[in-house]
Amino acid sequence: MSRAEELSRRLREELGNLVLDLETGTPGRLFIDVSKEALGKVAASLKNQGARYQAAVAYDARKTGQGFGLIHTFAFDRDSLLVAVRTFAPEDDPEFESITPLIPGAGWSEREYIDLLGLKFKNHPEPRRLVLSDDWPEGIHPLRRDVPHDLMPPAAEEVAFRLEKAPAGTSIIPFGPFHASLHEPAHFSVYVDGEDIKGCEYRGFMTHRGIEKLAQTELTYNEVPFVAERICGICGSVHSVNYAQAVEAAAGLKIPRRAEFIRTVMLEIERLHSHLLWLGVAGHLIGFDTVFMQSWRIREKIMWLAEKITGNRKTYGMVIIGGVRRDIERQRASEIRVVLTEVEKEMLALEKAILKDKAIHKRTKGVGHLSKEAAVSWNLVGPVARARGLAIDVRKDHPYAAYDEVDFEVVTADSCDVWGTLVVRVKEVYEAIRIINQCLDKLGRLPEHEPLSLVLEGPVPSGRQGLSVVEAPRGEAVHYVLTGDDNRPERWRVRAPTYAHLQAVPDMLLNNKLADFPIIVGQIDPCISCTDRVLVIKLGQGRAELLQKQELERISRSRRKER
Amino acid sequence: MLKKLSRRAFRRSLWVYHCNSGACNGCDIEILNVLTPYYDVERFGIRLVGSPRHADAILLSGAVTRPTLPLVKKVYQAVPAPKLVFAVGSCAIGGGCWYDTYNVTGGGEKAIPVNYFIPGCPPRPEAIIYGVALALGLVDKKVVPVELKQMEFPVDMYRWQRLLETNNVIYKLLGEEDDRLNFGGKRDGQDSAG
Repeated sequence: MSRAEELSRRLREELGNLVLDLETGTPGRLFIDVSKEALGKVAASLKNQGARYQAAVAYDARKTGQGFGLIHTFAFDRDSLLVAVRTFAPEDDPEFESITPLIPGAGWSEREYIDLLGLKFKNHPEPRRLVLSDDWPEGIHPLRRDVPHDLMPPAAEEVAFRLEKAPAGTSIIPFGPFHASLHEPAHFSVYVDGEDIKGCEYRGFMTHRGIEKLAQTELTYNEVPFVAERICGICGSVHSVNYAQAVEAAAGLKIPRRAEFIRTVMLEIERLHSHLLWLGVAGHLIGFDTVFMQSWRIREKIMWLAEKITGNRKTYGMVIIGGVRRDIERQRASEIRVVLTEVEKEMLALEKAILKDKAIHKRTKGVGHLSKEAAVSWNLVGPVARARGLAIDVRKDHPYAAYDEVDFEVVTADSCDVWGTLVVRVKEVYEAIRIINQCLDKLGRLPEHEPLSLVLEGPVPSGRQGLSVVEAPRGEAVHYVLTGDDNRPERWRVRAPTYAHLQAVPDMLLNNKLADFPIIVGQIDPCISCTDRVLVIKLGQGRAELLQKQELERISRSRRKER
Repeated sequence: MLKKLSRRAFRRSLWVYHCNSGACNGCDIEILNVLTPYYDVERFGIRLVGSPRHADAILLSGAVTRPTLPLVKKVYQAVPAPKLVFAVGSCAIGGGCWYDTYNVTGGGEKAIPVNYFIPGCPPRPEAIIYGVALALGLVDKKVVPVELKQMEFPVDMYRWQRLLETNNVIYKLLGEEDDRLNFGGKRDGQDSAG
């Protein structure tokens, strides 16, 4: 009996009539419809069985008379199973039970819909504004169907961030929205006691551009991949591949094998350049500019390579629904191999220099510590989780594209700090090179000059759900698509890895030195544009009351005064 | 005047402040890229600085979103005059593909006066260097400004439309000399006379 069947049987036993519908049609996916009352129970049951929370998707289903829909998605990494639990609330009472007390990582997902759809969550610990800007008027929820995509309520001047008060005994150091250590607009309000960070509040979502709304109102299925690519300039093709996979899953399409290999190659090329980029930025953040210059010098070869293959250094424009747009021919493949050999050689030299450098050891070891248990409870993914000993990797756990045919290793470290993430990312560069080489070998054996994409027969059926995950350089990116009429998705939800990571940043910062702030935030490789997609900001947790070393601090403070 | 000024004041040393007002990172990494060994803009005396108060120029990337609009204005005020503003990439120029969504106010020009536009999605590092070098007078412009003017047609360009209105028939567009469309010249003559 497969895991999906076992799980559905168990849920039926536990909840009886509260489970309305179970759909196990797609391998590796389970779509469940439950009644509203059962949402908390299902979430608890899934959590107890070891599921990892991914994201929430809410949408306006008033057109069909169902009110508002809310979907929580979970992943069973060992069993290659993704579960989406859907429930509806009536239009006049859009209140759901909050699962945040149970799963802290769901906090943002739920707050997002308080803003965007006007939903309410019972027992949510922090039902504050997250996505919309401070001067956005109450009562207008942009993701609702009756709100046009270009609605722009008049701006209120001089609205300040509504941040929490600093806990007693600490002072506030503001970072951002524009700050030398943050390359994207985001505001961190860091509470410090002397040099030590005692808490942090985050207000982000400043690059929210309303992309999901745009896809639901203005674009068509095949235009979305190109806009999806522009969610993020670094991991763009992750989003376009992910979206295309979600639509293909919903429509039941099987794309040509050659196209799957080409997608894999592009994803790994992107991982190569992204990891080298991170390495450089990390070096820059700890004041070691040589690493910055050297790793970007190596990276430049990959940018040129991407331009050779696709015609653009970034935003490749390779993916459409049903396949890819350009081939990687035999001759191009040998060019790629030459570049990869060079990159690997230079990378080995750089790795030696980095991993043996005492300054880097001192700046990264023990910094930004977050335990394995905390990483699980915050649902961390990608290199940040792998640096905490969690061997989760979407490429292995939920194989997509051509990853089921390639052989690679999931790199983990167990130091639980910035050093671990650095080691994981450096090692993953070699794994990426290995994967590309294997893909090129297998591409060479597939027949050339065959169509690289499917020709769709008729429109994509409406009302189908598609759930797709892709391992972005930063971790797992989740795309959910509910197909609709008018040749465009009814709902498209993007959850970038940084969405999960940023929620854990206050925990990572706690009790570290202020000077380490940039690299601690940097260890998650924050990609704020991915996270924000839709709107504006904030979050945080002042944890000052929980300090255990308070006594020690009091003494050190009085000593300072004596001087 | 600005041209003269930037040639004199900034030619050998231009400190730029990179202001991301809601970009996707694409332009930002290309901006950082111009500092790295292959492109190395420091040979022109160009440096990225961490504070707008130290800067001579702003490199604005990304569409200006609703929450960053007041912040971008503040950044502009913080830069001491004389100052230059470069809008880097399609989004900073006109808002890009999300120019009219609910949280995007549009291109950089809606917030602050922009002196130079560097197009591309994202612009190549070479394009960014070229744009800055152009402002500093290190290179010549590759294009000249084109003045748009309503063309004066030697023939009556509205004739076919009038024919359609009077006869309610769509004519296949043929050469001017074609007799079948000339209607013996008589009606045409009346038209132009009227």
